[in-house]
Amino acid sequence: MSQARHSTARSLAAHAVLILYTAIALFPVFVVVINSFKNRRAIFADPLAVPGPESFDLVGYRTVLAQGDFVLYFQNSLIVTVASLFFVLLFGAMAAFALSEYRFRGNMLMGLYLALGIMIPIRLGTVAILQMMVASGLVNTLTALVLVYTAQGLPLAVFILSEFMRGVSDDLKNAGRIDGLSEYTIFFRLVLPLVRPAMATVAVFTMIPIWNDLWFPLILAPSEATKTVTLGSQVFIGQFVTNWNAVLAALSLAILPVLVLYLIFSRQLIRGITAGAVK
Amino acid sequence: MGALTLTQVTKSFGATQVIKGVDLAVEDGEFCVFVGPSGCGKSTLLRMIAGLEDVTSGDVAIDGARVNDLAPARREIAMVFQSYALYPHLTVRDNMGLALKQAGTPRAQIEAATGKAAEMLALDHLLERRPAELSGGQRQRVAIGRAIVRRPKLFLFDEPLSNLDAALRVQTRIEIARLHRELGATMIYVTHDQVEAMTLADKIVVLRGGVVEQVGRPMDLYNDPDNTFVAGFIGSPQMNFLDAGKLGLNSDRLGIRPEHLTPGGGQISGRVSHVEKLGGETLVYLSSEDHGLLTVRLFGERDYAVDEVVGLGFEPNRAFHFDAQGRRLR
Amino acid sequence: MAQRKAFRWHIAVFLAPAVLVYTAIMIVPLFGTLNLSLFNTGEGGRVFVGLRNFATLFGDPRWSASFWNALGNNAWFFLVHMLVQNPVGVALAALLSSPRLRGAAFYRTAIFIPTILSFVIVGFVWKLILSPIWGIAPGMLDAVGLKSLFAPWLGREGTALTTLALISVWQFVGIPMMLIYAALLSIPDEVIEAAEMDGVTGWSQFWKIKLPLILPSIGIISILTFVGNFNAFDLIYVTQGALAGPNFSTDILGTFLYRTFFGFQLQIGDPHMGATIATAMFGIILLGVGFYLFAIQRRLRRYQF
Repeated sequence: MSQARHSTARSLAAHAVLILYTAIALFPVFVVVINSFKNRRAIFADPLAVPGPESFDLVGYRTVLAQGDFVLYFQNSLIVTVASLFFVLLFGAMAAFALSEYRFRGNMLMGLYLALGIMIPIRLGTVAILQMMVASGLVNTLTALVLVYTAQGLPLAVFILSEFMRGVSDDLKNAGRIDGLSEYTIFFRLVLPLVRPAMATVAVFTMIPIWNDLWFPLILAPSEATKTVTLGSQVFIGQFVTNWNAVLAALSLAILPVLVLYLIFSRQLIRGITAGAVK
Repeated sequence: MGALTLTQVTKSFGATQVIKGVDLAVEDGEFCVFVGPSGCGKSTLLRMIAGLEDVTSGDVAIDGARVNDLAPARREIAMVFQSYALYPHLTVRDNMGLALKQAGTPRAQIEAATGKAAEMLALDHLLERRPAELSGGQRQRVAIGRAIVRRPKLFLFDEPLSNLDAALRVQTRIEIARLHRELGATMIYVTHDQVEAMTLADKIVVLRGGVVEQVGRPMDLYNDPDNTFVAGFIGSPQMNFLDAGKLGLNSDRLGIRPEHLTPGGGQISGRVSHVEKLGGETLVYLSSEDHGLLTVRLFGERDYAVDEVVGLGFEPNRAFHFDAQGRRLR
Repeated sequence: MAQRKAFRWHIAVFLAPAVLVYTAIMIVPLFGTLNLSLFNTGEGGRVFVGLRNFATLFGDPRWSASFWNALGNNAWFFLVHMLVQNPVGVALAALLSSPRLRGAAFYRTAIFIPTILSFVIVGFVWKLILSPIWGIAPGMLDAVGLKSLFAPWLGREGTALTTLALISVWQFVGIPMMLIYAALLSIPDEVIEAAEMDGVTGWSQFWKIKLPLILPSIGIISILTFVGNFNAFDLIYVTQGALAGPNFSTDILGTFLYRTFFGFQLQIGDPHMGATIATAMFGIILLGVGFYLFAIQRRLRRYQF
């Protein structure tokens, strides 16, 4: 805008507010990570100092790696998250394609039925889910978690993806039909590649709650062999409450992988959200 | 009430200069059209006049007062955008009245102003509707109405007809010309369509690459272009450029409009490559060894066969001479 | 067409996996839970008791006191989110979307970081920071001369719930920020420029032009916040344990359900009362969502640009 002076003052104010809030957002993470690299005395003497040659100590990490089976927990989380994500995206996209592409009796009702799950949390069915898993012998297996998370992720995935698939040109699909492609080929070869940005958005929105969930791992798969990182660190921290080095190291270990993944994908994520997928 | 002066105006985005020193005077009540190919800087120039873009150097003055540092709202101008830019959440009435309301105008006065504008544009029956409930042409009229209500010194139009279909475009063009007569206001109008420019303008400014190529009345530009660019840009079909040397003339190129080439002469010859019959006129495209593709415009229906060889003549006083740099030799 | 169209198998094939998994794992258990709330253990196993579990939940003072306490706490938890999280999110988004702001991508990325962290991390991190033993919070207040304001907020009945709600706000403010930011970006530049020309600038531009255009997004965020809050559990379980101390002052419906179903300390778990509480939560969420859909969303216009 033309009022040069006004806008400088205004943008300075905007930066001040944003920097302040960014500090609030990052400060706790920062404090935990720097203190995890310090010895016990330094943690308490000056919690805000960065680790120096005197205070640097990895004792917390040694305790964590010696005591908890974090590699296994991490592996479990990864398997559960990736497998759930795969099924949510595949099944979600297929259903979204059926709903957006074909007119059939009950189309609207089916859409509403699947959308119901966006508003009604799956946790309310926990009591019966647990009974079902007990009956089918799936308690304390990762399969139980994958099944639950797939069901949990589907409603939003179908909703977002069908909005996007409505935007795919009919001419393109009809050209495919005239060229003799089957409906399945049209879906996998023509439509799926075009909705890739929407798939990325859905992936992120599906992944975060799965990776971070405590409820279902606690209830359906609490055994040592099937603990996820989230549950594992919760249990570990509960046991080592007074060992500050270990607690801080465990928290840092839980933060860092997610943080790194986020920083790698953040551009994709933001592009996905701002592409208007969720309005 | 609304004269505009630009003095050595430039605009740079980073290192690239997009407006390279424009001088221009638009008189009160004049209809001035900026025309040029896309990327020539015409819209940027308009946005600088509006105050939506900063002026890098030079001065923009409205009625003699420098407005470089004035916010758009305080320049007493109104703008009609290409996409209309109506407020989707407000009714037609509120869309038109918002600026006055913001300025603290009494309600009765706003009512009177919007009522009058609505009447001029035949929008009376649509006042309570929202933009989503209007057709493209109606939205366009609301956008114009929003501008009229403010009684601005200067109306700015940014390619306002480009989103309308062909029939509506002609109709709205006539409407805008009528409004200009009735309001007697100064209007600056940006378009890439030279027909709009020719039919609406009192004064045309031809821009290319951020530089003014020529300023003048439509017929002056048509009959007396300064260079090959203006000569080629104004007029449809485009002017023919012939190799003057091959005709034994001492200029570099010779410009002749399609309607001034007449079949039957002997100086130029070409082979018919295509014929377009439009009813009222016939366009004959010929390829000539010496001059490349030539267009001839003939009145009425004429019959030519493809591959027929046709000789062409021209009146020397209807031809324009240009030098090697494309400048007109007078 | 004279002939009746053949059954289009591909539609069924496309729909089947999603519908089957969703129905089997989500819908059936949901109704299973509703059904379970109508039974109780009596002589010889499970007996149908009709609505008697609900009578116990609302009528028996031991149960109803806990239920209303949890519901009240949950309502306050939600209110804090509506009053703090959403306005702060909108304000941050408005700042981020201001034209030609340098470093917008950095701020966006940084402010969203807490949202990607798990409740376990968030809960413990804040517990440590607010802990009087470590002394980061009192130390920082001391630095600005406000040490007297410090109290062990998480340990006091009067402040624990609000503190937890604010921690949750801290964690999730990125979501309204992103959604509103996207909505603000989708307003065409020309509409904003038209407002500039009309003299609608600065704050009045926000209130008169931008806010009405992003209201539908704010509506959706509100309902998502509602569903999320009335379904919350993790943060409180992590920081205060299943007992939601001190003295149940941070007990919300999620923790109440967990305790009832799985039992704690001396009380043994009771699946039927657990299902009853889940059914009550289902009813509350349904009421809230229904209210939103019928009373609010109808009045929000969505605009196409």
